[in-house]
Amino acid sequence: MPLSLQLCFVLGSLAMLLIVFALLKKNLLTVKYSLLWLAFSAVMLVFAACPYVVYVLRDLLNLVMPVNLVYLLLFCFVLLVLLSISIAISQLAEKNKRLAQANALLEERVRRLEQKLEEKNG
Amino acid sequence: MKVLVLIPCYNEEASIQRVVERLRSTCPQVDYLVINDCSTDNSEDILRQNGYNYLNLPINLGIGGGVQSGYRYARDNGYDIAVQMDGDGQHDPAYLSAVLEPVEKGELDMCIGSRFITREGFQTSFMRRVGISFLSGLLKLLCGKRVLDVTSGFRACGREMFCYFADHYASDYPEPEAILAATLRGFRVGEAPVVMEERQGGVSSINPMRSVYYMIKVSLSLIIDRLSYSPKRR
Repeated sequence: MPLSLQLCFVLGSLAMLLIVFALLKKNLLTVKYSLLWLAFSAVMLVFAACPYVVYVLRDLLNLVMPVNLVYLLLFCFVLLVLLSISIAISQLAEKNKRLAQANALLEERVRRLEQKLEEKNG
Repeated sequence: MKVLVLIPCYNEEASIQRVVERLRSTCPQVDYLVINDCSTDNSEDILRQNGYNYLNLPINLGIGGGVQSGYRYARDNGYDIAVQMDGDGQHDPAYLSAVLEPVEKGELDMCIGSRFITREGFQTSFMRRVGISFLSGLLKLLCGKRVLDVTSGFRACGREMFCYFADHYASDYPEPEAILAATLRGFRVGEAPVVMEERQGGVSSINPMRSVYYMIKVSLSLIIDRLSYSPKRR
């Protein structure tokens, strides 16, 4: 792998790590959801810094091109992120429903109390 | 016995007033609660101007989430029986006592008003009956309980039953799923014959376009519910 390409990879994965950290710092991302991204950026950084790891893994899995391993990992990672997002949405929908119900019950109670108060005052 | 009739209402401006008035004149001894599921028409104005008892959901939750908030209301306000009745005029309050009776006597935890026992009145379209009998067969297979009118929204629940539903209720098409969940957990589910009418206004929540999707989704969620149920959890 040419040195210039390797440098690009290192800079790219470093940038990704930094972006995730910046988002965390600005509270645009919670730690819970950043873990996957942090782990992925760290792995990418290791791959870029010492490509030897990729070569060894390539040999272990009998792949022809080392880059295929990177693609494979990328794809698995994307699937994992999508699944975790679906889980997060389902949980949010459930909580949202509970919240709406509690709100409706409270609103009804307030209306009833207001009516009672009005009757009492004349 | 304190009885609460829950009337889910989504865009039922054409019929809701008639439904509530009919209920109040036929059964003055029961309380009722209309659940306005964030209607986009004048339903809410009608409810407010007439001084009806109603819940106002701030966002549209669908029939399951709406009915569930009614069950929570019944639980929080100490009711003994909660009856669900459609807001489109399909369900005649004259049959309320028929659906209530087995629950009042303590024979059943959930009693479903069924139009297929005596086969009188409005029987819905042929295709829908095919779908209903398929779901009925699937339910029988999954929990061993034969219920004819699985999609009927006319049902009475005892306190223990609706307290369970207040915490666990399916959201999209909850009627068949509720039967399965109740039967699996040892609640006694049964049917009482009623006569239904054609809806008096508004649009059904299940239209022909979505019915295939509905069948697949309901069947799948029934199977998943059955597979994920373990007797230890109760």
